[in-house]
Amino acid sequence: METSLPTPWQQALDKLRDWARINSPWAIHYNSGSCNGCDIEILATLTPRYDIERFGIKLQGSPRHADVLICTGPVTRQSRDRLLRIYEQMPDPKFVVAVGSCGISGGAFRGCYNIVGDISAVIPVNVYIPGCPPRPEAIIYGVVQLLETLKKPVA
Amino acid sequence: MNNLTVPPLIAFLFFPGGLFLMFGGMAYEWIDRKLVARFQNRIGPRWFQPLADVVKLLSKEEIIPQGVDRILFYLLPVLALSAALASALYVPIAGFAPAYSFKGDLVVTLYMLSVLTLCLGLAGANTPNRFALIGATRTLTQLFSYEAPFLLALLGPAIVAGTWTIGEINFYTQLHPWQMILTQPLGFVVALVGLMGKLELPPFDAPEAETEIVAGALTEYSGRGLALFRIGKNVELLIGLTLVSAFYLGGVGNPLLFVVKTVGLLFVMAVLQSLFARLRIDQTVGLWWRIGALLALLNLLVVALFRALA
Repeated sequence: METSLPTPWQQALDKLRDWARINSPWAIHYNSGSCNGCDIEILATLTPRYDIERFGIKLQGSPRHADVLICTGPVTRQSRDRLLRIYEQMPDPKFVVAVGSCGISGGAFRGCYNIVGDISAVIPVNVYIPGCPPRPEAIIYGVVQLLETLKKPVA
Repeated sequence: MNNLTVPPLIAFLFFPGGLFLMFGGMAYEWIDRKLVARFQNRIGPRWFQPLADVVKLLSKEEIIPQGVDRILFYLLPVLALSAALASALYVPIAGFAPAYSFKGDLVVTLYMLSVLTLCLGLAGANTPNRFALIGATRTLTQLFSYEAPFLLALLGPAIVAGTWTIGEINFYTQLHPWQMILTQPLGFVVALVGLMGKLELPPFDAPEAETEIVAGALTEYSGRGLALFRIGKNVELLIGLTLVSAFYLGGVGNPLLFVVKTVGLLFVMAVLQSLFARLRIDQTVGLWWRIGALLALLNLLVVALFRALA
């Protein structure tokens, strides 16, 4: 590990990198067992009415292109492996946003025989967006909160 | 009305060759995305959006999937971008005279532009991913369908000008600004739509249809490779717009004319992009060979007849 202080050149590059990361979060959307309510709200968020391309957010099809995994619902036993696989297919740095009550605690499905648990039981989650389902404004707010945390230097 | 010239080293590194094209290409991508957004009644991305995308992709991890040829995986994006950048040396970018030119550089430029598509196809075929494979097949199928009509459409002005050098054709069209668009409207339409096919813009985006095959040939690319392919595509957009406006819209004589004509063309392309839904790959091929190629041939026939009679 380098222990010396970063050079001005390095600092400038880091600043540029952080700026680019904050201004261009590409998202991928995965439903790990939710009732589809949150997914409909996420699709509503992507419509021209809310126009998240203003913030540079784009929905990508391939996990290899994505920075943010927007995940809904509790994790069922069947989708656990798929969720893990999608998470590992994403290149670093990657972030996870859990949308909806079920993603936070398992919600109405908590304790079911086919449920592993909430999303954080399987993969690390950066931001939780509560609601059943959360409104598109709430989802945008949550993603903006995630981007705010990127502005602070990581210790 | 002659063009200005640039010294060779600057031509190679900065002005038509390297940095200018990359940043110019990003600017044109932004104009395109913004126009499409406005047509869809959205606000659209901010002006630095393509730059942020590229910087972010360059600073991301690049995953090399198992089972690929590593050398090809690294080399193909570089090859694609460099071919696109090299073709700019023969094109009157921003109204300056082409940095280099020789007899028949039109054909060389067009083939350099296809190298990018070819690399895209190879990149998809190189990765053991079913979506990338389907994307690669579609990319190459589309290459074979639009390439011939596009070339035929650009040959019309070349035959009228009596030269196959892009710089001289540009000079000729500057002397006769209204001639090409009025006498060869068919060729213009085929060239414009051919450019959209070349850039895989909607309605010809079946090769990267994200609702069916994830992201087409680039599905397995992340970080650096994806960024280089994106820059390459933007460069190709800029060069393609320059070529079509130099051949059909009365030439690009100075930077102001260049901006007016290329942005005007881009506006028309953005309208077409938001008007039409995606064509299936068989519809794309059918459109090009049944209609595009015939129209381009008809255009050539008329040009040849007039030359024989005159």
